[in-house]
Amino acid sequence: MTLLAVENVTKRYRLPRRALLKPPAVLTAVDAASFTLERGQTLGIVGESGSGKSTLARMVMAFEKPDAGRVLFEGNDLAALSPNTLRSLRPHFQLVFQDPYGSLNPRRTVGWSIAEPLRATGQAERHRVSEALDQVGLRPADAEKYPHEFSGGQRQRVAIARAIVTRPSLLVADEAVSALDMSVQAQILNLLMDLQDELGLAILFISHDLSVVGSICDSIIVMKHGKIVEYGAAEQIMRAPEKGYTRSLMTAAGLI
Amino acid sequence: MIKASKLSVSLGAGQAVRDVSLLVRPGDRIGVVGESGCGKTMLGLAMIGMTPAAAKVSGSLRLDNAEMVGADEKSWQVQRARRVAMVFQEPMAALNPIKRVGDTVMEPLIIHMGLSRAQARECALSLFEEVGIPDPEARFRQFPHEISGGQRQRVLIALALTCDPGLLIADEPTTALDANVALRITELLARLARDRTMALLFISHDLAAVARSTEDMLVMYGGDIVERGKTAAVLSDPRHPYTQGLLSARPRPENVRETDGRRKRLPTIPGAVPPLADLPAGCRFAGRCPVEMSQCATVRPAEREGTICHQLEAAT
Amino acid sequence: MTRLPVNLMIGAVLVGLVVATAALSLVWTPYDHTLLNIRDKFAPASPVHWLGTDQLGRDVFSQLMAAARNSVAVALTAVFIGGSIGVSLGLLASAIGGLVEDIVMRLADISFAFPALLFAIMLAAVFGPSLTVAVVAIAFINIPVFARVARASANQIWTREYVFAARAAGMGRFAITRDHVLPNIAAPVIVQATIEFAIAILAEAALSYLGLGAQPPAPSWGRMLSEAQTLMYLAPQLAIYPGLCIVVAVLGFSLLGDGLRDVTDPRLVRER
Repeated sequence: MTLLAVENVTKRYRLPRRALLKPPAVLTAVDAASFTLERGQTLGIVGESGSGKSTLARMVMAFEKPDAGRVLFEGNDLAALSPNTLRSLRPHFQLVFQDPYGSLNPRRTVGWSIAEPLRATGQAERHRVSEALDQVGLRPADAEKYPHEFSGGQRQRVAIARAIVTRPSLLVADEAVSALDMSVQAQILNLLMDLQDELGLAILFISHDLSVVGSICDSIIVMKHGKIVEYGAAEQIMRAPEKGYTRSLMTAAGLI
Repeated sequence: MIKASKLSVSLGAGQAVRDVSLLVRPGDRIGVVGESGCGKTMLGLAMIGMTPAAAKVSGSLRLDNAEMVGADEKSWQVQRARRVAMVFQEPMAALNPIKRVGDTVMEPLIIHMGLSRAQARECALSLFEEVGIPDPEARFRQFPHEISGGQRQRVLIALALTCDPGLLIADEPTTALDANVALRITELLARLARDRTMALLFISHDLAAVARSTEDMLVMYGGDIVERGKTAAVLSDPRHPYTQGLLSARPRPENVRETDGRRKRLPTIPGAVPPLADLPAGCRFAGRCPVEMSQCATVRPAEREGTICHQLEAAT
Repeated sequence: MTRLPVNLMIGAVLVGLVVATAALSLVWTPYDHTLLNIRDKFAPASPVHWLGTDQLGRDVFSQLMAAARNSVAVALTAVFIGGSIGVSLGLLASAIGGLVEDIVMRLADISFAFPALLFAIMLAAVFGPSLTVAVVAIAFINIPVFARVARASANQIWTREYVFAARAAGMGRFAITRDHVLPNIAAPVIVQATIEFAIAILAEAALSYLGLGAQPPAPSWGRMLSEAQTLMYLAPQLAIYPGLCIVVAVLGFSLLGDGLRDVTDPRLVRER
């Protein structure tokens, strides 16, 4: 079965009213987007700010419900599930954010944060935390430390450890390397590729940077103003982009 | 002409900038590249006299023969009004949200240049045109939140140009912007420097942007300039191990798979930049360097042909 | 080493003085503060009666000490009750959002608009004036204040990425509120509580002054003020002493609150 299928998903936001008697304007953040992601594959979503890529990620994570269309995870329509069923499914799709500092509670040890997805499903197992830390290249003893005691790259490793501690089949990475320095960015990208090989993870990799997406993804979606403008195999798109917009992104990234 | 020699900025126990020597001539376009914590922002701030109060600046910095290290805030204000200007990363934060952008740009023209309101308006409008703001008359009356990020950055560049500076320092001016917008701002800065024979210090972690906008570049690590030279030469033939590591760590979407179909891993620099106070006393890159020798951590390498590295010293 | 702000230190000293006096009065006062001694009335300050006696010959210093106890107890209880209810409502509004949030916050707006004094008079009319009436009235006016502070701070926390991460982990709203939201809004709530404490002491004094709070012989700074009012020309010191006590207590808690805000506000911390 297809791991993740997004079918004609649309999300609209009402903008603040400009005038009392006129209906508020509507922004279509995602406009009839469809794609699929198979197990163990990496799909990149590229676009500028306001392209709808993060809104799409929030719908895949079931933080928001689409106004039209369906998000199917292992065949389950996420928007149609009861809150309890959704919660029991959550360990199977996890999230890594852009800012590893913001995504870790500053008042809790990283071990506590990493164990959170386990606790949520009532499976607090200490050795799983150590194992996850080990998998991301940190030491089990680091579980006792607080987020501020780590460097930016290490914090992102902690965030990844939390995301994989439940052994998910899908990882959504929303600008997960954008805030990192160049040398650290390469380390984290390598880590994601290692984990993918090791755990058979599928990764939905959202980024504004076409050079990063092009070098780690199997297929690529290019989004602009909520619409998918190009969707295909990564190597094909990087070699011969069909759309002018994709070419302009490549120029801006210094790839052409 | 601006000349820094042995310019250092100390912050507590650490040195954010260490013995930097730099000559900036009119029309020079110099890129400053490095990762966060390498001292590139602090160098930019030192050159405009805006280092934080806790920082101690030493060495020498001459702006047109005036020594500015140890100069008081008043003489810096004179220089900032006439000679040097800076553009920052976050254009929204750098603009007063309750002031129309036209007024923001007119203010220094009236205060520092002594223009009348009408003259200042004329001048500000022509600056808006010069930095590529479409329909300047209409933009003039708008507030910062009403215009796009790219337009805001253009307003800030126009503001920086009001004093007709000899040196424009741009600190990560494109980092907060979308790629296409960033590209146009980069090109704008390079064009302004050429047209006005104004020197440009382009501080950025974005190698593509630096390649596009500058002729010369400096690579900083741990407060040292580890490599300098023509931008094209440094990027195509990096000599310092750090520059080499940095360039090869860039993701490149070509030949991404091994022969067995596995994805290739990216070359990396091991470890992370240590905190200022923990930097090695010798070569700052010691401890992470793939070709490190025994003396590297303790002895400072001398500069040879634009780089500081014991390996290269030994080779020549 | 960061230096503590001056207002925090002065505030802490004044608050410490008031609280210590209140605590001490539980076990020791120079005289029984209710003891009448008409022959000794209007005695001047002396080694026998440190601050003299009032129109009924009661020891003023002992009365002030015992009144401190009442003030602190009323303020503490009222702010604790009002704060607990208010914070719970604010957290609930923030966690559930939507219609619940709208209803809770509009109710808070309405109770804000309702004059606290009128409410106290109503309570006193129904149940008779007492310290309990003062506690309930002060607690009531505190509920919307805390609800607003808690909701505003909690809403900020709910947009943090670690809360999104907790939701992604499958944590429920109430577990997230307990684990992430409450610990991170503790600082602004404590600051608000300290400032509300100052207001509560003032409010207790005002209610007792009006006869809606402490009843004789229960000592209260506000009641001492109102009794001394008629004797202003005869014995002005009887009004001045309780007035000074109110000033010291209110100033102490206000400075402490301001100081705590300076210390805990991350925006100010970063600039130092």
